[in-house]
Amino acid sequence: MAAPKPRVQLPSAATKGEVFQVKAIIGHQMETGLRKDAEGNVIPRKIIHKFVCRYNRVEVFVADLHEAMAANPYLEFYLRATESGRLEFIWEEDGGATYLLLHELMVA
Amino acid sequence: MLEKSPAPEASRRALLLAGAAGLATASLVSLSSANEERAGANEEAVALVKQLTGKTPTESERVHLMMPRSFPNGYTVPLDLAIDSPMTESDYVRYVRVIAPRNPLIEVGTFHFVPQRSQPRVSTRIRLAEPQYVLAVAEMNDGTLLLAKAWVEVATNGCA
Repeated sequence: MAAPKPRVQLPSAATKGEVFQVKAIIGHQMETGLRKDAEGNVIPRKIIHKFVCRYNRVEVFVADLHEAMAANPYLEFYLRATESGRLEFIWEEDGGATYLLLHELMVA
Repeated sequence: MLEKSPAPEASRRALLLAGAAGLATASLVSLSSANEERAGANEEAVALVKQLTGKTPTESERVHLMMPRSFPNGYTVPLDLAIDSPMTESDYVRYVRVIAPRNPLIEVGTFHFVPQRSQPRVSTRIRLAEPQYVLAVAEMNDGTLLLAKAWVEVATNGCA
């Protein structure tokens, strides 16, 4: 299976104090552990169980995700533009793999 | 102008009126049983949250759980959540936890916010196994729990 691909959509610039929208998605089966394969064996659970957004190293939005999240988990959330800097988006998968995206934001 | 004969019109009006009265009675009956159903569902929701958290939530209009009343695809049902809160250091939402009580695994997700940094809003997509009330429980900075629920009629089992 190809490595899960994460994508984010958010502005590259914002005015100080403004609220801006972030859309984050990662291609992932979100295998619940409830399904069985053709032979009747349970397909083990493997999901993205956590999403973290950091803004200049400060956690500003965190999501704990469980099996009832849809496949290709999509999150839309809203942050306040406080200062220019870097946003980090981290997805944590069962088993320890992490997926990271970085984004520079200019705040005037 | 030609005058219509009153008899057929009167009888049609009478029929319509009788029909409307009958319908009104029927809807009154179904309204009260719908209210009973909703009261039962409220109690169930509060009891479930108490079981999960040890605290009793209050149903609150400050928590807006917006989901479609009916949706064809149980594999990816849209969910929009917004909580009324200034998100100041003295009044903010710590997190909101979403539960689907009729799913084989009832936890959907918990979304954490930070005062002054993030809005108490999130949109996502979830899996539902069958028609049910989806619950959203918000914990405020003072520890109180606010609850909202939304009935979603899904046509397919998204957990299969």
